[in-house]
Amino acid sequence: MSNFLNQDFGSEDDEDDFNPAPQEESDAEEPRAKPTKKEHSGGDGADEENDVKYPRETDANEDDDAKDVEDEEEIENEVDEDEEDEDEDDEDDEEDVARPQKRVKRVANPFIEDEAGVDEEEDEAEDEEDELAEYGMETHPDDLDALPQGTETDDRRHRQLDRQREIDASMDAEKQAQMLKERYGRNRAAATDSLVVPKRLLLPSVEDPSIWGGRCKPGKEKEVVYSIQKRIEERPSGSRNPIRIISAFERGNIMQGWFYCEARRQADVTEGLDGINFYYPSQKLTLVPVKEMPDLLRVHKSEELLPGGWIRIKRGKYMGDLAQIEEVETNGLNVTVRLVPRLDYGLNDDAFGAPAADAKRKRGAVSTVRPPQRLFSETEAKKKHAKYLSSTSGLGGKSWNYLNENYVDGFLIKDMRVQHLNAKNVNPRLEEVTMFARGGEDGTANLDLASLAETLKNSTAEESYQPGDPVEVYRGEQQGLIGRTVSTRGDIVSLQVTEGELAGQTIDAPVRTLRKRFREGDHVKVIGGSRYQNELGMVVQVKDDTVTLLSDMSMQEITIFSKDLRLSAEMAADGQLGIYDVHDLVQLDAATVACVIKVDRESLRVVDQNGSIRNILPTQIANKIIPRRDAVATDRNGAEIRSGDTVREVYGEQRSGVIRHIHRSFLFLHNKAQAENAGISVVRTTNVVTVSARGGRPTGPDLTKMNPALAMQTPGGGAAMPPPRRGRDHLIGKTVTIRKGRYKGLVGIVRDADDSSAQVELYTSNKPVHIPRDILTPKDPVSKQPLSMGRGRGGGGPGGRTPYTSGGPGRDGWAGGRTPIAADSSRTPAWNSASARTPAWGGLSGSRTPAWKNDGSRTANPYEGNRTAYGGVGSRTPSWTSGSKTPYDSSSGFDAFASGSRTPGWNAGANTGSRTPGWNSMSAGRDQRDFDDAPTPGGNYSAPTPGAYAAPTPGAPTPSGWPESAPTPGGAFSAPTPGGAPTPAAFDAPTPAMGGMAATPGAGYGGNDGGPRYDDSPSP
Amino acid sequence: MFFLKEETKVISMHPSYFGPNMREYLIGRLNEEEEGRCTGDHFVICVMDMVDIGEGRVMPGIGQAEYTIRYRAIIWKPFRGETVDAIVTSVKPTGIFTLAGPLSVFIARKNIPSDIKWEPNTVPPQYTDHADQVIEKGTSLRLKILGVKPDVAAINAIGTIKEDYLG
Repeated sequence: MSNFLNQDFGSEDDEDDFNPAPQEESDAEEPRAKPTKKEHSGGDGADEENDVKYPRETDANEDDDAKDVEDEEEIENEVDEDEEDEDEDDEDDEEDVARPQKRVKRVANPFIEDEAGVDEEEDEAEDEEDELAEYGMETHPDDLDALPQGTETDDRRHRQLDRQREIDASMDAEKQAQMLKERYGRNRAAATDSLVVPKRLLLPSVEDPSIWGGRCKPGKEKEVVYSIQKRIEERPSGSRNPIRIISAFERGNIMQGWFYCEARRQADVTEGLDGINFYYPSQKLTLVPVKEMPDLLRVHKSEELLPGGWIRIKRGKYMGDLAQIEEVETNGLNVTVRLVPRLDYGLNDDAFGAPAADAKRKRGAVSTVRPPQRLFSETEAKKKHAKYLSSTSGLGGKSWNYLNENYVDGFLIKDMRVQHLNAKNVNPRLEEVTMFARGGEDGTANLDLASLAETLKNSTAEESYQPGDPVEVYRGEQQGLIGRTVSTRGDIVSLQVTEGELAGQTIDAPVRTLRKRFREGDHVKVIGGSRYQNELGMVVQVKDDTVTLLSDMSMQEITIFSKDLRLSAEMAADGQLGIYDVHDLVQLDAATVACVIKVDRESLRVVDQNGSIRNILPTQIANKIIPRRDAVATDRNGAEIRSGDTVREVYGEQRSGVIRHIHRSFLFLHNKAQAENAGISVVRTTNVVTVSARGGRPTGPDLTKMNPALAMQTPGGGAAMPPPRRGRDHLIGKTVTIRKGRYKGLVGIVRDADDSSAQVELYTSNKPVHIPRDILTPKDPVSKQPLSMGRGRGGGGPGGRTPYTSGGPGRDGWAGGRTPIAADSSRTPAWNSASARTPAWGGLSGSRTPAWKNDGSRTANPYEGNRTAYGGVGSRTPSWTSGSKTPYDSSSGFDAFASGSRTPGWNAGANTGSRTPGWNSMSAGRDQRDFDDAPTPGGNYSAPTPGAYAAPTPGAPTPSGWPESAPTPGGAFSAPTPGGAPTPAAFDAPTPAMGGMAATPGAGYGGNDGGPRYDDSPSP
Repeated sequence: MFFLKEETKVISMHPSYFGPNMREYLIGRLNEEEEGRCTGDHFVICVMDMVDIGEGRVMPGIGQAEYTIRYRAIIWKPFRGETVDAIVTSVKPTGIFTLAGPLSVFIARKNIPSDIKWEPNTVPPQYTDHADQVIEKGTSLRLKILGVKPDVAAINAIGTIKEDYLG
């Protein structure tokens, strides 16, 4: 056989190989027909058998292949370890594959022969001993390949064989055995390698011998197997009463009390096991299903415990704690570990109870409260437990004996059994490990971080690499490459190289050789593996595998492995535990609120309103207080403070900060420069003064609000305006008469009303009917006189109309007009006067028309935008009032009017004279409705109490309502029309005034009387 | 690093401001709102001039007018690796807080030269190498920005003085 390895020959092979190896020399001198062997060499069969039987064929192979072996030695040098393992597993299953009984075929071409040979051999019968003679003839097809064509017939090989034999004979047996072992130890693996036999073909099938599981005394499995082996040696297969057990093995701790035998038939096993010590024949043998056979032989490497390694304690007081192995006893069962002690030094003990005496009770106590991990301190121990403390000075320094435990350098040195230790998935965290570091400012000084990182590396989960992570290959042939991960598959990470010559290429690298790469200043998030999980921070320092970052929240430096970090895009605060976030305000109980300052995995750290800090569980929180944006408090000086303001404490520590929360009289301040409590401190509102309001920015006028300068100008009268009335509709309950339609003239009581219609219960029919609201006229239920109804709304629709008709009561109207705001309603007097002066109406109306028009144009000013309308209003007001009050009444109103109109405000208004179309249309609309009303001029004319009118005139009110008030003038404007206007003249007059360009038509019309005045008013 | 950047802002204006001074109102408003503002990416230092004050558009329904103003402003965007001068605002055991103009920069302990030690016993507390170098509140520092962390309306940065010519 040509393929072999001379590196470590598998000792495992020997262990698993239960078939005793025959003496190497036994067949050595047997003559062989070389050509034959070459020709019928069924390569595969040889591979499988060689697993076990290699010694038997040694000589023969050696003979013919000696030369080839030398040649191929180098070529086949590399064999995967995997294959080796796998072969071990399968070995037992395969070793029984029988030798082919006969080589029927004689095919000249070995290349063709290969395949056919395999099948045939597998079907061969099991008798091995008969075939021994043929073993040596096996030749691997590869060998044939290697040989030049025609070698089969060449007798050169014969001579070679002879020479070789001579050499062999001269060697002593042992040396030869060694050599052979070396040569052929690996040939199985090598053969597999060269032939690429699929793994599944190596797995046992139903044709293979079965495995039987038998029971034995637990712990004695090995002995049983040894006895079986011995028995097989005593009664080999060629003997008179052969043992037909092919192999036997046990699985030690995993399957205690079981051992397994491989055989063709159950009877063979029973027979072979007869009388074996510790075997329980009474228990039935169990057949192992074919599928489970490979599992039986799977090898689990036991964790090696080495001094200096890290383990975790499985049970007891230190359960889950990390420990370092000090020493491993030679029996492998006891381990001396170094622990960071958890001691309470008797602080929690009863005054009388001797802690050492009542170990049971102590254990109970331990389970409830576990003291924190701290190094042993003799001073503390002396306080209460001096009697339990004794010191011993050794060579290495001072050690203490306290409560029957030994403490060296502050660490607890303890002997433990291996069973109580957990060596798998230890995953030591950096902060745990740092506790073991002696000395050193930051704890990392004495730590062999590299070795620690190494142990961690093995446990690196693939999830810790996510696409996009910047990584660096730090060992292996691609050392120094820098790139970004593209994808991960198992242990392999594909990364795209970003720097260097290979930039842009995608290469694969095992996780083991990678580490994440961070630059100083990167914003990162801790993703796992430590108590800093979810912390966000900025990288301050990068040193090999460790990264120091500055936490955003606590402003503290954290040193952590780069594998636990990843780049973070988040900029928000970190840590969330359920719904609770750092800096949230939570309610603990009815009287206590607290601000979260730290979120751990299970608990929250809060500072409550009294400034005390406690750890609580999320379940202890009653609820989270949603911050109120408008919460307001007053500081020491009475100034208003809101959240977001910066305040400073007056007394005490003069702490300052931005208000995060306001709760009653407590403020939770946040100060970024303060490291403790995540920058949160609690102060009373009475103890702080405002440093700056939030942002302190908007000092200038807010352009989206009313210009304060103008608002100031309106004399304080704004407040005097009656507030717009809301609520119950005034019409409800009133007696009304219906002016139009089917029910025209009928009287009823309004039962319900909305904006457009009213439900009227008629006196006559006593049934409710729905009537459009605008054809109702309220009446005094007793006198049946029409009432004026203020709607109290801004619209001033129907209500607005009423006033014109107000005759005598116009005084009230004046009163209304006199209210300063009535600057706008200052028009009212005009109406009144107009209507009051009925006789003069024709003339007056014409003259007044331009005034209206002016008025209208004035209204348009805001739209025009080139002049602040309010100024106009302000300036107009006095003139109007003055003008309207006396002169109008005295019917010298024209002059007054004219003069009034000559006031700058007026002029301005008149000059601009531009009416927006909206204005026109609006007023036109009003007109139309008024025309509708016109048929009942009398009602219109006489109806209203101006008082009502004056009050509601909404247009007047707040300056902001100015645009709104536009309808009012409209209504009011058009109103005169019917009022004054049974005559078509009057009718015409206003119309152009509103719609048209000022004076022209009006002038034309009204020119007869008021002409000059009329001209006057527009002219300025 | 400083840039001259052209930006756009929309200002809405109440009708009560309509009038001849409208332009001044708008400019005043713009300056107030923009100067000193931090976008989370950069600081607006100063509004230089208006490129264009657009036409006002009256918004239907509320009567306010919207002006779209294009203006140029000097902005400062701090970069990693940039060297700036800053003034110490406070010193803590964990490091030094400084202000470089509007930007607050934190210098962690690790980024302070090892010979400059935390000295808590002086009043006020300081970092000092017990020679001529004293870092306390008010000290001017020249530092290099290591990293910039944008926030919604603020920028936080960390810096180092542990290099040549820094400190």
